[in-house]
Amino acid sequence: MRLPWNGMEAALKREIAHHLEALTAEHERRGHSREEAVRMANREFGGSEQVKEMCRDERRWAWMPGIWQDVVFAIRQIRRSPGFAVTAVVTLALGIAANVIVFGVLQALILRPLDVPHPERVMTLSPSSRAYPVFAYPEVRDVRDNNTVFSAVAADTIGNFGLEADGVTRPVWGYAVSGQYFEVVAIKPFLGRLLQRADDDHPGASDAVVLSWTAWNSLFGGDRNIVGKTVRIDKHPCTIVGVTQEGFHGIEEFLQPSIFVPLANQTFADTANWSEQRHDKNLFSVVRLKDGVTVPQAEAELNLIAARVRKQYPSEEEGLSFTLVRPGLVGGYLGGPARAFLAGVMGLAGIVLLAACVNLGSLFAARTADCTREIAIRLAIGSSRWRVVRQVLVEAFLISILGGICACGLAWIALTGLASWNFPSDYPIKFAVLPDPSLILIALLISVLAGLLFGVMPLGQIFKTDPNDAIKSGGIQTSAGRRWALRDILLAGQIALCCVTITAALVSLRGLGKTMTMDLGIQPRNVVVTKFDLSQAGYSAQTGEQFQRRLLERVSQLASVEAAGYANTPPFGDVSTTAVFTQQTIEFKPSNKALTAFLFDVSPGYFRAAGTPLIEGRDIRFSDTATTPAVAVVNREFVRHLFHSEHAVGRQFKNHLGQAIEIVGMVADGRYLSVSEDQHGAAFYPILQHPTPTTALVVRARGSADEMAAEIRGVVRDLDRSVPIRDSSTWNHQLAMNFFPSRVATVALGMFGAFGLLLSIAGTFGLASYTVSKRMRELSIRVALGAEAKEIVAASLGRMLVLLGSGAVVGMVLGAAASQLLSAIVYQASALDPVVLGAVALTMVITGALSVAGPVRRALRVDPAMLLREQ
Amino acid sequence: MPDKKTDLIQGTLDLLILKTIAPEAIHGYGIAQRILLTSKEILQVQQGSLYPALHRLERKGLLKSEWQESGSGPMAKYYSLTAAGRKSLQEEKAQWQRYAGAVALVLES
Repeated sequence: MRLPWNGMEAALKREIAHHLEALTAEHERRGHSREEAVRMANREFGGSEQVKEMCRDERRWAWMPGIWQDVVFAIRQIRRSPGFAVTAVVTLALGIAANVIVFGVLQALILRPLDVPHPERVMTLSPSSRAYPVFAYPEVRDVRDNNTVFSAVAADTIGNFGLEADGVTRPVWGYAVSGQYFEVVAIKPFLGRLLQRADDDHPGASDAVVLSWTAWNSLFGGDRNIVGKTVRIDKHPCTIVGVTQEGFHGIEEFLQPSIFVPLANQTFADTANWSEQRHDKNLFSVVRLKDGVTVPQAEAELNLIAARVRKQYPSEEEGLSFTLVRPGLVGGYLGGPARAFLAGVMGLAGIVLLAACVNLGSLFAARTADCTREIAIRLAIGSSRWRVVRQVLVEAFLISILGGICACGLAWIALTGLASWNFPSDYPIKFAVLPDPSLILIALLISVLAGLLFGVMPLGQIFKTDPNDAIKSGGIQTSAGRRWALRDILLAGQIALCCVTITAALVSLRGLGKTMTMDLGIQPRNVVVTKFDLSQAGYSAQTGEQFQRRLLERVSQLASVEAAGYANTPPFGDVSTTAVFTQQTIEFKPSNKALTAFLFDVSPGYFRAAGTPLIEGRDIRFSDTATTPAVAVVNREFVRHLFHSEHAVGRQFKNHLGQAIEIVGMVADGRYLSVSEDQHGAAFYPILQHPTPTTALVVRARGSADEMAAEIRGVVRDLDRSVPIRDSSTWNHQLAMNFFPSRVATVALGMFGAFGLLLSIAGTFGLASYTVSKRMRELSIRVALGAEAKEIVAASLGRMLVLLGSGAVVGMVLGAAASQLLSAIVYQASALDPVVLGAVALTMVITGALSVAGPVRRALRVDPAMLLREQ
Repeated sequence: MPDKKTDLIQGTLDLLILKTIAPEAIHGYGIAQRILLTSKEILQVQQGSLYPALHRLERKGLLKSEWQESGSGPMAKYYSLTAAGRKSLQEEKAQWQRYAGAVALVLES
């Protein structure tokens, strides 16, 4: 290749050749023979290669051609040992990709601010930093009307609406928002106007509806003349007044609502009921801080407001408090665990990368050690130490950059897949984790760091190399096997790190296993759940009741149906809770309550359809109506908690209104909101005593439920075509959502665990075979002197085994500590589980045995005669 | 090699080279021979070590070089002083004389 420095190199060569030639000629003139003259000239001149190297160093840009040579040499090295290069690149690519993917999710979830002006001023109100951030409307109003720190305060709630346009009714998700909502988010309309304070002035103030940009595009084909058009929402005519700007989807991450309606439009929300009562807390609240107001200042004022409200309503508002939390993941409710988990996974990803680097570092160190002789020769013929170091660094960088490029590709594929993936939920959830170009930068940064990290490790060795010694001893350092070398400690560290990932993986796997086989209190197999809201088709609670009864009768007559019933919601759906008081209670304030129980309104036959065993007493009856005494079926935990006994039929408790309710039956315990919750009490009221238009029809099929959903859809449509069905599918399918976090955690941790395992095998194998080959001569002397197999193994790999053992123990202790973090996500994740501990130990033993087996065989097959002859 | 000695030799070598080149353009071999000759063979310079010094001085702009036909036939690289080189020679020479004089003063006192 013709490069500028090639000319310089040639000139240098010619210059020195000229000198040597002249010197030789001089000696010849003095009467020496040609050969003698050449030898004398060389001696007088000194090492010509060394001189050349020194001349190169004197040149200003000497390092430039040097680097080029190094790169060419490194490529040649890589081509010479493709196995090593591929392993290194793949190891690094996986390690870097893991980090980039986790970082990508982190960025989408936590780091990226809302797409609104001054997003740092938008906050969510919450009772405390980890609570589900809901309030009653009067509480939000108290904050709105009495503060000096917010420029706007709004309440909002997400709901499902039946949107009827051009004769088709579709269930869509939307926000019902109070008047200042769009002042809080401060976005501009894309078309028309947004909702204003006047729309929410008094109940029924306006029939305005605002479309999201996405809905405008997908449901109305991007019609520019949409403003002013009338649509029907839950059978009520509404006027489209505007479209939000592109990209705006409310303030929750991942939710993609289609419409925004005023909260005051009581046809959607039971506003008359909401606007004054302080019991049912079901509104989210978002606020915008005024310019220059800090969060502590705002919270100080919120404390004053809360204190005033508590004083004013001592029984209802006893525990009221406000804090400000970052919006995006239902306040701190999901945000807290999600952040903790992502931080944990990020940590694991870092550990994996670190382990990969350590691994490559020790491989490089071992390779450098094998090259001691070569390095010594290079030093002896005039290469500077810096030059050798640079060579190793360039090779490390080349490999890490290749790894980084592969990692970018992997991360891209993974993130794009994640972004286009449909979440198993009927909520409008979309992962907006599209890969960002800045991730390339991150990947590159990580790979350079990684390259530095493992490239630096062999350096000490190079600096220590003494050409004379190394050449004399044939590359075997006399000290090898006596001192604790850096790579020994690195190996122990790496084993420990990998052990952490393996422990985490096994803990979550075990947790998931337990979750999957856990008793949920229902038998979701062969059951179809159909959800719809009759108010979207214009039914009231009373007319809805007749529809529900007719539907139940029709469905029960189907040949393939074993049992059927309905409820306001199934477990793990939109579940609410209620305060329960003992019969003796007189004052019904929160601190006097006996327990908080999950609340369901169910029809007769629901328990049989859901597969919840009735332990004693009777089922709900159709004869339990508004005119008969209030009754309830409760679960076992409810009874245990309230009466400290196992029997309760015939006894009474009181609800938050002080109404006495008789217990007529007891069912088995179950899970009601999330699979990872503690055991809670639950009360099931007769749905005829609490009629509601939201319906979840639960149907147990005789055989497989696969065909059932379509059949039930047909029956509903047959009864009333205008009822928009939100979801009709098998119960297992709907429950998948609840197992989703632990599944994701398990898959993620399982991958890290497998990766950790791979790394520790590679690392142990590498170092073991290195140790054996280093000490071949010593081992063969031992064999020659009559050492037995056991002694040979102990001599060659004894220390390896000590390292493996201690690394594994340290790793297991660390892993157990780290698993505490997991318990937030994975139900029943405990690292102290003897099964987990045993499995980790077994895995490490097998790993160790597998990776040391090869080198041990080599050590045992040492043929003393051969080796001693060779060296 | 201990630092002090290196400094001394290096500094001195630069001065010797500059002085030797001063009269006329000359190639590396010539410089080595002339130093040997004029110092009455007392200063034994390892001939190879001339070249790094030559390259260094050239980079500093004290020398310039040119390929010419040498007396014996093949092309050789001839070095000559630049203006900066002449100035540097004056300064280095003065400094050396001051140094040598001072050492002599101490030894003879």
